[in-house]
Amino acid sequence: MSTKTDSALSIRRRLLLWLAIPATLILLAGTASDYFWGIDPVRGAYDRALADGALSIAAHVHASPDSRIRVRLPDEAIEVLRSNSSDSIYFRVSAPDGSFLAGDPDLPHPPPGASNPSFHDSMFRGHPIRLASYRSTTRLGTVTTVVAETLNKRRQIHDQLLSGALSVDLLELAAILALLWLGIGLALKPLQALREQLARRSARALDPIDATGVPAEVSTLVTELNRLFATLTDSRSAQRQFLQSAAHQLRTPLTGMQAQLELLISEEPTPARRERLAYALSATQRLSHTTQQLLALARSEHTTAMDADFRAVDLAEVAEASVADHVSRAAAAGIDLGAELAPAVTEGIAWLLKEAVNNLVDNALTYTPSGGVVTVRTGLRDGAAFLEVLDTGVGIPAEERAQVTDRFYRGRQSRGTGSGLGLAIVGDVARLHDAVLSIESGADGQGTCVRLEFL
Amino acid sequence: MRVLIVEDDRVVGDAVHGAFVREGYAADHVESAERAKAVLQAEHYDLAVVDIGLPREDGLQLLRDLRRRGRHLPVLMLTARDGLSDRVNALDLGADDYLTKPFQVRELLARCRALVRRAHGTASAQVTCGALQLDLAHREASRDGVPLKLTHREWSILECLALNAGRIVSKDKLMSATLSFSDEITPNAVEVYVSRLRSKLGDAAAIRVIRGLGYRLDEHKN
Repeated sequence: MSTKTDSALSIRRRLLLWLAIPATLILLAGTASDYFWGIDPVRGAYDRALADGALSIAAHVHASPDSRIRVRLPDEAIEVLRSNSSDSIYFRVSAPDGSFLAGDPDLPHPPPGASNPSFHDSMFRGHPIRLASYRSTTRLGTVTTVVAETLNKRRQIHDQLLSGALSVDLLELAAILALLWLGIGLALKPLQALREQLARRSARALDPIDATGVPAEVSTLVTELNRLFATLTDSRSAQRQFLQSAAHQLRTPLTGMQAQLELLISEEPTPARRERLAYALSATQRLSHTTQQLLALARSEHTTAMDADFRAVDLAEVAEASVADHVSRAAAAGIDLGAELAPAVTEGIAWLLKEAVNNLVDNALTYTPSGGVVTVRTGLRDGAAFLEVLDTGVGIPAEERAQVTDRFYRGRQSRGTGSGLGLAIVGDVARLHDAVLSIESGADGQGTCVRLEFL
Repeated sequence: MRVLIVEDDRVVGDAVHGAFVREGYAADHVESAERAKAVLQAEHYDLAVVDIGLPREDGLQLLRDLRRRGRHLPVLMLTARDGLSDRVNALDLGADDYLTKPFQVRELLARCRALVRRAHGTASAQVTCGALQLDLAHREASRDGVPLKLTHREWSILECLALNAGRIVSKDKLMSATLSFSDEITPNAVEVYVSRLRSKLGDAAAIRVIRGLGYRLDEHKN
């Protein structure tokens, strides 16, 4: 039996949400910083290589004796420069006045930087490039050598760095989320155990909840619940004690009165006095009956029944005992009282169930004319135990069926000396046992079929 | 036939005592378990009616004590309490029957007669049920001293019903009671034997059919 508690977000979900979101953000920040920290040295290394290129070209710049600056680049040098690269390499050597000396004449000419060599980003022939510019001093002035490369290998290494950092961090994130899930699960285990313990309890159970291993956050709650249970148990025991005493104090004198009257009647020779005594006896019997019913009613209240009272009861045995008790009365009334019993075991309080069945049989006999038939049936229907009492009597009008279980209700066709408590007891006993009480017309719309289905 | 009534309530005790005396029993009434033990030591009784709710030592203790001493007299317990726990307890401790207050004196007497009948039947092989007498040793039934002519099977059924008079006996139980080595008996045959038996008994005793449950022998026809 699980209770739906999703109306408010569960603690597990809350914890997961409030831990997973920050953890993800922190990891993302980590990825970004890994990337940028990883990028910097790579960029430095590539820049240095570019600067080395500039330096090696600058080494071939000479101020000739005729006061001209000459660049004598051997082919191998250019070869070396352009080799092993996925990038296009460009260069340009500029005279002190900025005029073109060698290389690619249209290569941008960056402004002189503070450092030497200095680095710049620019565009060339529609592609982004990185420039290293190196100023070398000759007799004739400062010559600027610029070497540039496209960004392919830099991009490749960026991509590698980024995907490396991302994949590692995604794995980390997955691991962290899994650990969070596990950890939260473990931390919530005592709560889960408490919840299962509560779900297993019957609604009537009043024994204290086992508080061992219950986390501090909910132990107050458990303590308060246990205190409430203890209070209820006390008041129940007091109530039961009271009813037990009341039963004893009422029944013993009633028994005495009844027995004395019976004896008196059998000894009384005068018919007129015998008749009076019979009136007194019948009134006493009615009083006894009502007392018995009131006590049963009080004991079938939810507030007095204890979980420990509930045992496995076979309704067939209860029904058989009840039928046996009513055989003589049925025979005297000319009613065929019988049973169709199949085993029907349910959890219940046997003597209260007997009380309920007695009342049903009693009613059926009262409202069935001589020559009629009353049958008690028990068995299983769709796996649920049921008990029904069918009669061929006057029936209960449909509009009265809802009221007949009210205490002291007496229908329009009521007869005899009924107290109006019989079906109220049946109703209460049904409620106490989570049984469904239904009242219908008997077969071919004649008589009554009262059914108790134990779910 | 001698009955001991152990009941602390004087009004109930006196009425029960009076009823037994009227029925022709020799009856004694004591009001405590202690007194009961004393008289049970001194006298012979055929039956005891014991209230559970006695002061000081209760009826269940008295019953336990009796059974521990090996006293096998039939005991019927009375209680004013609800529930079956007393009943289960009493029957476990060896009570033979049980009645909840308030009861009808007629009911108490009928139950006591049944207890005495069973105890007596096993002891003396004689069973009396109303106007009906059964001699278990000679397998003979008579009505007011006039012998009844019964077949073997009719006798077996009557014997089984009489030993359980006042109680419902299932058809299965009657079938096994009539079982002989030579042949089998069908449920229908039981019905035939019962109806023959009824006509032979006349109004000496009534065999009631309780549909779906079995048969019950009652002392008097209502």
